[in-house]
Formats: sequence, structure tokens, C-alpha cells
Amino acid sequence: MSAPAANIPAANATHLPAASATRANCALYAGIAGLAATVIGLAVSGNVHAVAMSYLVGISYWTTIAIGMLMLVLIHHIFDAGWSVVIRRQFEHGLAAFKWLFVLFLPLVATAFIGGGDTVWPWMNPAHELLHGHGTVATDILYQKKGAFLNVPMFVGATLVFFAVWIWLSARLRKASFAQDTDGSAKWTTMNRKTAAFGIPMNALALTFAAIFWMKSLEYHWFSTMFGVWYFANCIRAALAFGVFIMVWLTARGDYRGILNKNHWHCIGTLGHAFVIFWAYVTFSQYFLIWNANVPEETFWYNLREHGDWYYIGMLILFGHFFVPFLYLLSFRRKSTASGLLPISIWIAGIILVDLCYNILPALKDAHGDPLPFFSLNLLWVAASVIGVGGICVWAYLRSFATSGAKLIPVRDPRITESLTYHE
Amino acid sequence: MSHAAEHTAEAPAILAEVKPAIVPRAVLVAHGRSFSWITEKICGIIEEKTPRWWWICFAVAGFVASWTVMGLTYLVATGVGVWGHHNPINWAWDIVNFVFWIGIGHAGTLISAILCLLRQKWRTSINRAAEAMTIFAVVCAAIFPVFHVGRIWFAVLPGWLFPFPNGNDIWQNFRSPLEWDVFAVSTYGTVSVLFWYVGLIPDLAILRDRFYAAGNKFRSSLYGLFAMGWRGSNRHWSNYEMAYMILAGISTPLVLSVHTIVSFDFAVSLIPGWHTTIFPPYFVAGAIFSGFGMVLTLMLPLRAVYKLEDLITQYHIDCMCKITLATGTMVGYAYAMEFFIAWYGSNPNEGFAFINRGFGHYAWAYWIMVTCNVITPQFFWFKKIRQNTALVWILSIFVNVGMWFERFVIIVTSLARDFLPSSWGYYSPSIVEIFTFFGTFGVFSVLFLLFIRFLPIMPMAELKAVTPEGDPHSGANAHH
Repeated sequence: MSAPAANIPAANATHLPAASATRANCALYAGIAGLAATVIGLAVSGNVHAVAMSYLVGISYWTTIAIGMLMLVLIHHIFDAGWSVVIRRQFEHGLAAFKWLFVLFLPLVATAFIGGGDTVWPWMNPAHELLHGHGTVATDILYQKKGAFLNVPMFVGATLVFFAVWIWLSARLRKASFAQDTDGSAKWTTMNRKTAAFGIPMNALALTFAAIFWMKSLEYHWFSTMFGVWYFANCIRAALAFGVFIMVWLTARGDYRGILNKNHWHCIGTLGHAFVIFWAYVTFSQYFLIWNANVPEETFWYNLREHGDWYYIGMLILFGHFFVPFLYLLSFRRKSTASGLLPISIWIAGIILVDLCYNILPALKDAHGDPLPFFSLNLLWVAASVIGVGGICVWAYLRSFATSGAKLIPVRDPRITESLTYHE
Repeated sequence: MSHAAEHTAEAPAILAEVKPAIVPRAVLVAHGRSFSWITEKICGIIEEKTPRWWWICFAVAGFVASWTVMGLTYLVATGVGVWGHHNPINWAWDIVNFVFWIGIGHAGTLISAILCLLRQKWRTSINRAAEAMTIFAVVCAAIFPVFHVGRIWFAVLPGWLFPFPNGNDIWQNFRSPLEWDVFAVSTYGTVSVLFWYVGLIPDLAILRDRFYAAGNKFRSSLYGLFAMGWRGSNRHWSNYEMAYMILAGISTPLVLSVHTIVSFDFAVSLIPGWHTTIFPPYFVAGAIFSGFGMVLTLMLPLRAVYKLEDLITQYHIDCMCKITLATGTMVGYAYAMEFFIAWYGSNPNEGFAFINRGFGHYAWAYWIMVTCNVITPQFFWFKKIRQNTALVWILSIFVNVGMWFERFVIIVTSLARDFLPSSWGYYSPSIVEIFTFFGTFGVFSVLFLLFIRFLPIMPMAELKAVTPEGDPHSGANAHH
């Protein structure tokens, strides 16, 4: 069955460029508005640190989604997967966001050179005062020990490397996949498999150290070997949630009608369910081992997050990030339909944002060293950043979707027929 | 072509452009072997006269197994002092060997159940042997915690490890992961046996019928007893598939939980080098790694001896090598992350523990571990190496060796250099320990040889299902 619907009249398979362009422009305007609001926030909020941290949340959130999409595409190729061919193309469009994420990350890099340099990461300023009169970063023995790693040139260099890895891998994957649409050559499949073979370890290292530099080092006294694995789990969950949004949108629009069947939804749902469990496993293990050992140099990180309303945020993550999706996705019916997966994907996408807030924002502390309460922070700046960075990312996706010249699905992929006819 | 028909009902125009590049999937049963060939091949192993090599191997394995029996007898008669433990290394080869075998034991069911859930059809050639490996490895693993108490009645009588009401109201320490191990491993062992046994039922029925047809009533009755009246009806198959899927679903989190709890044995403590949050997934990755290493070690000779190249194809070997490579690299990631965070965490004791591992008295063990577990699997990047089965087999041995050393490094190096320099020591195993441990390879081999001789080493029905004839959408059947 080389052409499953040979009797269908050939039609122009480009996808409504005008409509897509309109949507893309809307996303772009929303993005610009969000970024403008963030800039205004820097000027009017009176707490530059809070706005900058909120921006870190926004950019981390969308980078998390993009990294997850990259990992899913890489995993698809390394496994020579069949069922996921029809959805892979949308993830490939999603990868177009990386170069814009890099541009949007530059202001955060610039904070290292503005003022004291400690707008976001306190260790960037040697004169940054530690709490309770414990001197400065420069005199902090723990910083001195970590200084070879936590320094501005290292941070800037590493961030450049992370984005270089993501942009380069994405470009290779997209080029090979899109080119195959035209010439149908099997060499592109081989190329993508090779890219996946070295791309997975490269991406694993990049996302691990990105999580360490960007998030973990906000409270640089703290450490956990599990942190990279925790971030990986969130990346995949976020990408799957946004994958569902895209599929639902394309199905509702008509593009994917007749392409996706119940089994595709079931696979997405099952994969999402597996990663709910994996995330819980990793997060629980980290918490449990630190709680059980009860060593102050580790427990302080969680103690801070049991302070004030952060305790309830922690509970929300426990129940919302695990129990709710876990129980919800136990149902075969819910995880095998678009209408069943959409609400839980919205929930998961939201709770991942809360999880990132939980990991980033308690680094904002009051004079006593307690984290600023979640609801005392002006969450408008988090929303502005998420919309700002998100608008640009969605615009990048839609732009790629409409103008890359790639087909709606990889029509010449060797496993496309298998994917179109996928069944249990 | 019902699926094509589904598409034509409301197919978007893009489907007209579908024209896949030609990259055929690897065949899972080579040379177009028929259903009957598969049955004859697998049953033939059991039905043929016991080959001489089997007797030789069995005798050697039995002799080696006797070392364990003698070592344990001597231990029980004399006391745990016959092992090389001393302060501060009060855990050594006993727990090293336990974790080594339990790791292999987890991998078999993990391979079988997870590959089943992931619908990886290539599992059919290796899953039965991997599950058998699991059970035999759990048997070997169980020896060590049971006997390391010396007076084994403390381990097996109710009230010591298993909770049992008693007059003094003395209960186990339920907050200890060692106690969780008791429940986890025994539950896991039970489910693994069930999982293995359920999978065996259709094949036992085939053997029952074949022995009956051959006039061997005794063996027919024996296989019939365990086949539990299997007739291969639609209802039987339906129930079987459901039971198998449920057991796969139960086994998967069980496997993860068991090795996680094994990792907790160490990670909940404060010993430098043990208390690290990545231990649970790192131990699970290590278990899969060692499991595939052992499956390769076992299956490649079987493939050669029984000429199973059409059932264990180069594709199967490729898949196993690649998973070994992937999991070995994950283990390497964990080693690197441990080392990095030991430095980054700036705790001098943690930092020292890792520097000591790499450059201290046990550096030789550390570098054996790194060489075997991180460097060795990197050879599997190369197709030429994957195609050289002798070399793959040798590399799989390195994986097994490396995973034993991983546990040795974790346990012994941390204990030998704990917080108090005045209590530092150096551990060397006693001759009794050495013989007891190596004897377990004999125990394992005896059990595995018996498995080969009396039970089908591959699931025949599942193998048939992955042939073109077994696929209702294959070209051969598309016309019917």
C-alpha cells in the first residue's frame, strides 16, 4: 500500500498559508505585547529581580517544551518508530523556536554584565551580600569551591553551547525530514538515525547542564544528582502536552482528519501516562532521599519551599502533577480520544509552569532569607513572560508550518504507511 | 485493506501524495521459516536425546555449584567470621553479590515486560530465556541476604524478616529499606514466576500433545499437568493475552520498585558515595545494562549450539547491543553526574569518597568498572563489531564483570574510607567467600541447563505471530 488513497484526487497539499499567516501574526503580536509588558515591568515594578526571574520562568518554560520536542523526534528516529511518523512533523516545526529562544535568552545573559550582575543569579556578583551577615559571594567558601564552574564566562559559554547543540540538531533533523518530502530518498532516514544516535547524549548533557546553570544555581549551595533527570521528565511531559494541542488544533481544522486514529491518540496518552509516573518516580526519589538523610545542606532547599504559601504550591504539584493526571489517564477512553486528552494536557501544561515556578521563584528572598510568598509576587510578570516568549515560539512554529515548504505529514517517510494504518 | 478503506472515507488530499521511501523492516524470523519449522526447532531441543555437551556442562556446573553448598555449609557451621568482613567493611561481597544477581534478576522481567508493553516484537526470541534468567538469578541473589546472618534460621523463620506476632512485641524495623527488600524481592520473585509460567502454558500444551502423539505418556502427563487443560480455543487465547498483558503491566513497576529499593539500601544512608539522589534510576539503568549483558552471554552460545540463527537474527543481536550501549551510556552519565556533584556539592567527605574511588586503594576496581561499563559498550556503535558474534559475546562478559565491580566499588570503597580515618581499613575476600560466590554461577548454570533441557527456550506461538504468515496484513494473506 504505497499510496493508501490513490483514488483520491490530488490536491494542493500546502496548508492554508493565508490563515496560518494570520494566526502567526496574532501569535507574534501577542509575543511582542508580552515582551513589551515584561520590559515595562522592569521599569515600573520596583523589583527588577522579580521581573527578571519571571522572565527566566517564561523562557525556561518554552525551552522545556522545545527540548522535549527535540528529544521526542530523536527518540522517534533512534527507535525507527512507526506510529509516530504522522505527528513527528509538527514537532519538527516546533523545533523552529530554538533560534528565537536563543535570541530571547540573550537579555538574561546580558544581566550578568548589567549593574552588579546579580539580577537573576546571585553568584554572578562577587559583592552580592549573603543573608544573615554571612559575608559576600566572594567570601563564601561554598562559592569559592564552585567558582571554577559558576562564573560568568562559563555560564555564557555553556549557554551558547546549549543553544548551539539544540539549533544544530534541530536544523539537521528538519533538513533531512523536509528534504525527504521532495526526493523520497532513504538516505535522509539514515541521516536522521545517525543524528539521533549522537543527538540523544548531546541533548541529555545540554538539558542537564542547562537545568543546573539556569535553575539549580539560583540557590547555588544546593545540589542534587537527580536534577537533570527531573528536568528531562518535565521536558517530555511538556512536549507531549503541546503535541496534543497541535494535534487537536489540526484535527479540528480538518488537516488531520482521516490521518489520526484512536490508536495514535492512545499511544500519545499512554506515553504521557508513562511519563507522569516517571516524573513522579524521579521527583519522589529526590525528595525522599533528601528528607530521609536529613542533611541541612540539602534539606534547606525543600524547607524554603515549605514556607508560607509555597507549601500549598508543593501540595498542588504533588497532587496536580502526579495524582490527577495519573488517575485521569488510567481510563482507556480518556487517553484514546482527542476530547479526553485535551483537558488533561491543558492541566499538565499548566502544572509544569507551576513546577518551574516552584524551582525558580523561591530564590527570591526577603530580608530574613525566607522566600517571597508566591501570591505576593506580581504574577503578572510571569504571565507576561510566558505569553511573550510563548507568542514568539508559537509564531516560529506557525511560520515554519506555513512557509517551510514541508508537507503536512512526512509523505515519503519509509514508515508513513505503517503510521497511517496504525492499529493495536 | 480495511484501513485504507477507512482513509478513503474522509481522507485528506495529502494522502494522495503518500509514497514511502523503501527501507524495509528487518525480518524477525529469517529465511521464511514456516510455523511447523518453528515448532520442530523449539520442541526438537527438548525431544532430542540429551547431547553430550549438555551432560559435560551440567557436570561442570554441578561441581561449581557444590562450592557454594560447601561454602555455605562451612559458614553456617562456623559463623560469619569465615568471610572477610571486618570493621569498617561490614558489608562486602555478600551485598555486592546480592545486588549483582538481583540486578540480572530484574533485567529479565524488565526486558520481557517492558518490551511487551512497548510492542517490541523482536522480544519474542529472547523473552523466555530472559525470564528464566530472572528467576534463577533471584535464587542466586536470595542466597546472600539469607546466609549473611550466619544463623540462617534468623532469616527464614517468621518473626525475623517477615513480621510475625510474638510475645515480646518485637517487630522488624519497617523504616529500613532492608526490610522493604524482603517484601519487594519476594513479591517480585512471585510475579516473575507467574509471568514466566503464564507465558509457558501454550507451549507446554504443545509439548503435552507431541509427547502424547509420540507415546510418551509420562512426559505428556507431566506437561499436561502444567498446561492446565490448555486447548488453544479462542477463549483460552483471549484470557491468556489479557492475563499476560496484566502481568506485564504489574511486573514493570515492580521491577522498577525493587531495584529502586535496592538503591535505597545505600542512598538513604549518610555514607559518602552512597547518599546521592540519582541512585534509583541509575540502579535501574544498570540493571537493564547487566541484564542485556547476561542475555547476550547466554543466548549467543545457545544460538550457535542449536543453530538458531533464523530465530535470533543479526537484527536481534543489533537491538540487544544497542540497548546495552544506551544503558551503558546512561550508567556513564550517572557516574559522571555523581563525580561532578560530589565536587559541586563541596562536601569534603563526598569529594574525598569519589577521589578515593578513582585514585585510592581501590582505584583498580574503579577503573575496571569504568572500562567495562562505559568504554566497552561504546564498541557497539560499530556495525562490524555487532556483526561479530564472538566479539559481542566477549564484550558481554566484560559488561557482566563491570557490573559486579560497580557494586563492589560502591559498597566497599565507601565503607573502607568512611568519616573516621582511624577506622579506615582494607577489605579482601576470604577463600570461603570467593568459592561461595563463584559457586553461584554453577547454581545459575545448573538451573539454566535444566531449563534448556525441559522447557521451550522460546515462545513458539509468539514467534509464529511475528512471521509474515502470522500477520493478517502481510502480502501473503492480503488476498484472502
